[in-house]
Amino acid sequence: MGPRKTGLGLSGLLLAGTIAMGLTAPPVLAQQPAEVKVGLLVPMSGIYARPGQVMRMGAEMAVDHINAQGGIKALGGAKLKLVAIDSGDSTEKAKNAAQRMVAEEKDMVAASAAYLSSFTLAVTEVTERVNLPVLTLSYSDLITERGFKYVFQTSATAASQAEQSLPEIVKLAEKASGKRPKSVAIITDNTAASVSSVKPMKERLLKELGIELVVDETFTPPLADATPLVQRVRSARPDLLFFLPTVISDAKLVLEKMNEFGLGQGRVPTISFGIAIAEPDLLKTMSPALLDGVMTVVANWGSKGHEALMAELKSRYNEPWMTQNAISTYGDMWIIKEALEKAGKADREAVAQTLRAMDMTGGPTAYFPGGRMQFDGKGRRVGAGLTIVQWQKGTPVTVYPSELALSEPFWPKK
Amino acid sequence: MTMPVLRSLAPVLAIAAVFGLVATLLDNSYHQLMLTLVLVWACLGLSWNLLSGYTGLVSFGHAAFFGLGAYGTVLAHVHLGLTPWIGIPLSGVLGAAAGLLVGLPTFRLRGHYFALAMLAYPLALLYVFEWLGLQEVSVPMEREAPAAYMQFRDGRVYAWLALGLLIVIIAVTRWVERTRFGMALLAIKQNEAAAEAAGIDTLAWKLRAITLSGAIAGAVGGFYAVILLVVTPAAVFGMLVSAQALTVAMFGGVGTVWGPIIGATILIPVSETLHAELGGMLPGIQGVVYGIAIVAVILVAPEGIYWKLRDRFGRRAKADAAARTAAAPPVPVDGTVQRLPVRRPPPDTAVVLEVRGVSKSFGGLRAVRDVGFEVRRGEILGIIGPNGAGKTTLFNLLNGFLTPDAGRVLVHGADMAGRKPHVLCRAGIGRTFQVMRPFARMTVAENVVIGAYVRAATDGEARRLAADAIARVGLSDVADRVAGGLTTKQLRLMELARALAGKPEILLLDETLAGLGHADVGDVIEVVRRLADEAMTIVIIEHTMQAMVRLVDRFVVLDHGAVLTEGTPDSITRNERVIEAYLGKKWTAHA
Repeated sequence: MGPRKTGLGLSGLLLAGTIAMGLTAPPVLAQQPAEVKVGLLVPMSGIYARPGQVMRMGAEMAVDHINAQGGIKALGGAKLKLVAIDSGDSTEKAKNAAQRMVAEEKDMVAASAAYLSSFTLAVTEVTERVNLPVLTLSYSDLITERGFKYVFQTSATAASQAEQSLPEIVKLAEKASGKRPKSVAIITDNTAASVSSVKPMKERLLKELGIELVVDETFTPPLADATPLVQRVRSARPDLLFFLPTVISDAKLVLEKMNEFGLGQGRVPTISFGIAIAEPDLLKTMSPALLDGVMTVVANWGSKGHEALMAELKSRYNEPWMTQNAISTYGDMWIIKEALEKAGKADREAVAQTLRAMDMTGGPTAYFPGGRMQFDGKGRRVGAGLTIVQWQKGTPVTVYPSELALSEPFWPKK
Repeated sequence: MTMPVLRSLAPVLAIAAVFGLVATLLDNSYHQLMLTLVLVWACLGLSWNLLSGYTGLVSFGHAAFFGLGAYGTVLAHVHLGLTPWIGIPLSGVLGAAAGLLVGLPTFRLRGHYFALAMLAYPLALLYVFEWLGLQEVSVPMEREAPAAYMQFRDGRVYAWLALGLLIVIIAVTRWVERTRFGMALLAIKQNEAAAEAAGIDTLAWKLRAITLSGAIAGAVGGFYAVILLVVTPAAVFGMLVSAQALTVAMFGGVGTVWGPIIGATILIPVSETLHAELGGMLPGIQGVVYGIAIVAVILVAPEGIYWKLRDRFGRRAKADAAARTAAAPPVPVDGTVQRLPVRRPPPDTAVVLEVRGVSKSFGGLRAVRDVGFEVRRGEILGIIGPNGAGKTTLFNLLNGFLTPDAGRVLVHGADMAGRKPHVLCRAGIGRTFQVMRPFARMTVAENVVIGAYVRAATDGEARRLAADAIARVGLSDVADRVAGGLTTKQLRLMELARALAGKPEILLLDETLAGLGHADVGDVIEVVRRLADEAMTIVIIEHTMQAMVRLVDRFVVLDHGAVLTEGTPDSITRNERVIEAYLGKKWTAHA
C-alpha cells in the first residue's frame, strides 16, 4: 500500500473521492494530539441491519467512555475516532466496503467486523492483505483456520461452544430433573453458524455423552410452516430439543407451534445456540410466557459486572438488554485501546503485534467470559468461555457460568 | 479473418485502451476493485445477452452457470490444489456442460414458461450446495507463489485480467453476431416458426447458444471467486446474480455487444457509490434510489441506453435515407403489369409434389379430410376456399408444422409427412408467412441471408445466394435499406426472397397477395410468374379468388376440409359448386 498518512481528518474524507491523492497538503487544524481511527464494519442496511446497529451502539459507548477517561494515555491522550462503515447485506458488498475502508482510511489502526461469519471471512481477506488487525465476534471455526495473522476472534468457536456447553446442559438437566437426559431432537436451519454448531454434536459429542439423536431436521430459512418439524418432535418425545434458528420469524413459528402441540413451556426443554432466540425483537411478535425457560448458548452476554453498561444502553438507545452484539463490540474497542497503550504508537502493525503478545486478566477481560485476554497462534482467544442465557419473566438473563450469572437457572418441570 | 471483421474490432480495441488506461492510472485499491467488478458484471451481462439478448428467451437463471463456475474454481483450488489459471477454463467447461444439460429439457418451454423454469435451477443449486455443507468456502491464501494461484497484491492486475476476459468474450460475441450463428438466433427471436421454415434447426442453435453462454458464465464465475475470495451459495447462486446479469444487459441495451458493457459501466459504480455514501446515513436508501433510477431509465429507454442513443443519433441518417427512397422510382418490374400475357400451362413435366389421402383432426373437428393432389414442375397451383375450409391446416401439414393423422406427402416420391420444418426446408420446400415478421433493425440483405444458410456452406456463399434471391424479386435497389422502412409490397417480396435464398424446388406461399393494393398485386404476380417460368414449382393459398385467376395454372378448391373440385381457372370460376361454397346456394342461380 501507499505511504501512511495521519491527520487528514475531514479534509482527508473530502479528498477521498478524488483519485489525485497526495497533491494537496491537508491543513493541520489544531494543537491536540491526532485522533486515532478505529473501524467498525458491520451491516447497517439490509436484513442484518438490526444487529449491526446494536454493534454500533456498543462501539460508540466504548469510544465515548475511553475518550471521557482521557483517551490513549500512551499517545498523549489521543482520542479514538470511530469510523463506522456499512457492510451491506451480501458478501460482495461486505468485501467492497472493506476494500473501500482500507483504501480510504490508510491510517486506521484496527477494526471490528463484520457480524455474519461469511462477511467476516470476506472482509478479513481484504484486511489481512494490508496488515490491518480485525477483531471479530463471528464464531465460525473457518475464520481462524486460514492461517491469517491479523484476525482476532474473541468468541469461542462454534465447535468449542458446543463442546463446552453440552456437558453443562446435561449437568443442569440432571440436577434439576433428577434424571440424565437420554435423547435429543435437533431442529436447525442451514446457515453457516448453525451448521458448524451442530456438526461436532452429531459427529462426536452426543455419543460421548450417551445421548441418542432421535430427530434430526434441517430447514432453509425462512420457514413457511413449522408443523411437520414439530410433529416429528411430538412423536419422538425427546428429553431435550436443540433448536438453532437464525431468523427471528423462524424462532417464533417453531416455539408457537411447540406450544400449540402441548410441547411448549418446558414440556420438552428447549435449548438454542446463538443469539436469534434472545433478541429483543422476538418480544414484538411473541408472548413472553411462551419463551419462559428457553435457554440459549451464546459466546457473550451482558452479565454480572455489566450492570452500569446495561443501564446506559437502555437509557441512551432504549435497548432492553445487552446482547452479545453490544457487549462484545464494546469490549473490542477496549481491547484496541489496551493494545494502543502497550504499542505506544498509532500504527496497525504495532497494534497487531501487541495483540498477538497480549496476556492479561484485567482491563478488557471483564467484557468477555473466560477470565483472560490472550490470543493463540491462530488468533483465537485462549480460554474463551461462553454464557448460557435463559428467558425468565420476559428477559433473557445470564445463568451460566455462575461467576457471571445474574440469576439461578430453573429447569422446566414436566 | 476478413477486413470487415478487423474493422469491427476497432471499437473493441478502443474500449480495451480506455479501460486499460483507467486501470493503470487508478492507485486506489477500492477503485481498482470497482473497475474489476464493472468488467466482471459486463462479462456476465454479455453471457446473458448471448442467449437471451439474441434469442429473446429470457433467462432468470444465469446464476446457475455462474455459481457452478465459482464453486468449481474454488473447490478445485481447495481440494486439488489446482490453480485458478486452470480452474477458470475448467469452470467454463463445467458451465458449458450445465448449459447443455439445462437447455435440453428447458427449451421445450417458450416465453414466460422458459423464464420461470430457468429461475428454478439456481434456486435448486443454492439448496444443494447448502445441503452439501458448502455454506462458506474460502480461497486459500497462497503465500509462497501467489501469482501462480492468481493472487496479486496489486489490484490493477485483476482489472487487467478482467479486461482480458471481457475482450475474449466480446470477440466471441462479435463472431456470433457476424456469422450464421447470430443470424439464426435473431431469426428465432423474431419468429421461431419462420426460422424453422427457413431451414434453421432452432433447437440445435438454441442449445449451442446456451452452451456457449453457460461456458462464459462459468468462466466468469470462476474469476469472480478469485476476486471475492469467499464463495457462499447466496453470493453466487442468489437471485441477485441472475438479476444483475439481466439488469446490466437490459439497462445498456439487449441484443448488442455494447449493451451489457454500457450497463455495467454505469450501474455498478452508481450502486456502489450510493451504498458507500448513503448506506451509513440512511440505511437502505441506496436500494430505493437505485431502483427508482433503473425504473426511470427503462421508462425513457425501454430497449436500453444503446438503442436509445443509436436511434437519436441515427435519426438524421435514417431521414436522409427515407428521402432518397421517396425519390427513387418504384421497383422496376416491366411496364406490362396489368396486361399479363396469358400463361401457357407448363408442358407435361415430372410430378414434384404429391399429396395422398392426407387427413387431420383436432378433437372432434376434422379439419382436413382425405385431401389429395399433384403438382408438376414449373406449375403454379392455387389452393382456395372460403373461411374455415381447412386451407391453413393443409398448408401446415405440407410444411411440417403439423403432422397428418393419415396420408402421405411425397416429395420426388419420398414421404416427408410429419418431418420437422427445417428438414423439409433442406429437402427443398421453401415457404412464406401470411403475417410478415421482418427483422426490422436489419437490412433487406441481412433479412434474406437467413434463408440462405440452409444451402450455403460458407457465409460468403450465403451472401451470394441472398443477393441472387433479392435480384430475382427485384429488390436489389433497396438491399441495403433497413427492413423497418419498407412498404408492404416490398416486405412481401423480401419474404419471397428469403424463401428463395434457400434454393427451394417447391415454394409454398401463404396469402402472399393479402393486404396489397391493386397495382401492387400485379407487381407481385409478375414476380411469382417469372419464378414459375424458371421452373420453380409454386403452391399458393389464398382466400380470395380474384387475383388468383390471373396467377395460377390450376386450382384446388377446398370446402369443409375436403377437396371440392380442381381445375383450370376458367372452369373453376364457372363451377356452380364453387360459387355455392363461396356465396351460398341462392347465388348459384344468378351466376
